[in-house]
Amino acid sequence: MRAAQAGDGRAYSELLRALVAIVKETVRRRFGFLQPQDIDDLVQDVLLSVHTARATYDPTRPFLPWLMAIARNRMADSARRYVRRAAHEVPSEQAPETFSAEDTNMSAKGYGDAEALAQAMAKLPQGQRQAIELMKLREMSLKEAATATGTSVGALKVSVHRGIAALRKALRTTK
Amino acid sequence: MNMDTDEFIKRLAADLQPVRPLRPPWARAVLWMAIALPYVAVVVWSKLTMVDPAQAGADARFVIEQAATFATALTAAMAAFRSVVPGFDRRILLLPLAPLALWLASVGQGCVQDWLRLGADGLAIRPDWDCLPMAAVIGIVPGAAIVALLRRGAPLHPRLTLALAALAVASVANFGLQFAHVRDASIMVLAWHLGAAAVLSALGGWLGERVLGWRHAPGVRRPS
Repeated sequence: MRAAQAGDGRAYSELLRALVAIVKETVRRRFGFLQPQDIDDLVQDVLLSVHTARATYDPTRPFLPWLMAIARNRMADSARRYVRRAAHEVPSEQAPETFSAEDTNMSAKGYGDAEALAQAMAKLPQGQRQAIELMKLREMSLKEAATATGTSVGALKVSVHRGIAALRKALRTTK
Repeated sequence: MNMDTDEFIKRLAADLQPVRPLRPPWARAVLWMAIALPYVAVVVWSKLTMVDPAQAGADARFVIEQAATFATALTAAMAAFRSVVPGFDRRILLLPLAPLALWLASVGQGCVQDWLRLGADGLAIRPDWDCLPMAAVIGIVPGAAIVALLRRGAPLHPRLTLALAALAVASVANFGLQFAHVRDASIMVLAWHLGAAAVLSALGGWLGERVLGWRHAPGVRRPS
């Protein structure tokens, strides 16, 4: 930790890796009921707090009590968050269906006529098709898609908007 | 090791900046006092009518009260700075209680004496809003300084830390203001000075989470 305080990234990385097992074991002992993913989240929360508070470590004092104080604090915070969330959530066996009309449940069932959609996509201009493929099918962000295509974010937004409008129009006429 | 955690560690280590370990809490409390005290002295000296030092020095109760107020400010600041260091000994949090009790006892004794001397009039609380702007001005620099210094620590108990910090600020402000209020009725000191310290501490406790919550390194994903 002393090396980490001096800015040695490699020593810091080794330290954090060594801490993972210790913190994970502590979390598991206290919150045995948590899913592995939740335990990992909590471990990362502790590591992040260690990172934030690294200036508070006094190199002349033992390290583990310092670490455990942070770990206990973050675990208590996490338990409070869990209780707060649980107090506002009502478990439900079945999610209620708010609308029964077919249009509103389209996303759950998948699009009905995949062939018509593929044909409509093929008829789109190259720019609009590419924008929709990257952002709607591959779920890229605007920034990522802009980097991939070499166009501006604004141009992409326009292409997606026009492409969706064209698809909507084409699919309406094929119904 | 989980891949996400591995990546997480890489990102933390990649942006690592050197940090200077914090000085011991007592040294940080002294540093804060070195910022707060000259400012309070300048404001009181330039804006208020000071009492005669000879007259004030001869008043044993005034001297005790001022010593207790100053000690409360210093010990509350020490406890606040200690509370942001992981693994601290919790007994340190009791440290300000002794001077605070002495301060309260001295003011309480003054109230009793005023009551015996003047009857019910000695315990009459008058509104004293004129003092409020000056009290607020006096608290600005000590308040900003202690929050800035505390934010370098670990917010393990933000409510408690800020309540102690508010007590320290209110005490140091009172210490200064008392040099312009030496003949004030004790009940006024109890109601307005100690009352303000209590309100400020409660407010600090309430705002602790918002002012001193865990502030994580920018650009790092925070696990939900």
